[in-house]
Amino acid sequence: MGELKYELSQNAYIKLVLHARKHKTAAVNGVLLGRVSPQNDAVVEIADSVPLFHSHLGLLPNLEISLIMIEEHYSAQGLGIVGYFHANERFDDLELDSIAKNIGNHICRYFPQCAVLLLDNKKLEALPKGKDRSPVMQVSAVFVCIELSNYGVSVSFLAIKRFWL
Amino acid sequence: MDCQCLDVAKDCIKVLQKQFPESKRVGRLEGILLEAKGLWAEAEKAYSSLLEDNPLDPVLHKRRVAIAKAQGNFPTAIEWLNKYLETFMADHDAWRELAEIYVSLQMYKQAAFCYEELILSQPTVPLYHLAYADVLYTLGGVDNILLAKKYYASTIDLTGGKNTKALFGICLCSSAIAQLTKGRNKEDKESPELQSLAAAALEKDYKQRAPAKLLLLTSALKSLKTS
Repeated sequence: MGELKYELSQNAYIKLVLHARKHKTAAVNGVLLGRVSPQNDAVVEIADSVPLFHSHLGLLPNLEISLIMIEEHYSAQGLGIVGYFHANERFDDLELDSIAKNIGNHICRYFPQCAVLLLDNKKLEALPKGKDRSPVMQVSAVFVCIELSNYGVSVSFLAIKRFWL
Repeated sequence: MDCQCLDVAKDCIKVLQKQFPESKRVGRLEGILLEAKGLWAEAEKAYSSLLEDNPLDPVLHKRRVAIAKAQGNFPTAIEWLNKYLETFMADHDAWRELAEIYVSLQMYKQAAFCYEELILSQPTVPLYHLAYADVLYTLGGVDNILLAKKYYASTIDLTGGKNTKALFGICLCSSAIAQLTKGRNKEDKESPELQSLAAAALEKDYKQRAPAKLLLLTSALKSLKTS
């Protein structure tokens, strides 16, 4: 399969990071919404995100209801669920656990170019310490992108549009 | 220590030590400080030595479980917590913690057992009914979902009809049961009234609290009924 690019919008990024920072002692997850870019088939634009839970991530009923409502709401704007975001409870845990993998697989069934983003807690920790206020910021990739080997998709590049600190 | 001001914590503990030289509580605080620094082995040693003197101290047992959990060593944490619960069966927080660990590891049957214990000892707390129903629904299978529906109903009963999660749960259960028993020609034991009542209650709630989202709710409920 060819290379895919994902463009994460500022809005989506901020919502997810703030959600993770608010619930520092818990695992959090969220859903990424977007579409395949109309100009270029190999680019997926992640336009928005919805933070989901910060407790009992593994329970089905809440997840089902929220996914139904999110799809309904965003399909009116032409966006669909394109990915899943997860942040682990422990500081040094960089592995995607089975719940995240299951949800990611499920989304993949409906949208083959699905992305799963895992928050790198160490980089998140370093975020507020940067005192640089210049508008053109060095992109700090806070997310580690996971390859979804089921579908042979390899994510080559993660661009964060209009990123600022 | 929660704010990672470990020096301040260390100073406070020193002062306490001077004041109360042989205190158990100061000993525990020292152990917690070692945990905060990430020195797991030392913390474990500290707790083990304290436990030799006080084998029946629940807090020390729980700190050991916390160490195992913080290291990501879930099997050990579960083992320690189970041992702890054999002695201290009435510790509800411990049962809840165990249930949450099981859910995060997707061991739903064991989590269901924990919630059953909680409901047995505290039958009037709606939180446990709701969590139990969630786990049953996640387990799946017609029998579990039927049981989940009953527990959602009891949650609604206990909370006077105000628990949104339980109302949604009822709608989900009804649509799941309808899907699972589609092919079979069973007599319709389940009255559709419960689902329509739950849906009506949800709509009323949304009208009061979030009228902007009412349309979203109605379309979501419709898709549940038809799916």
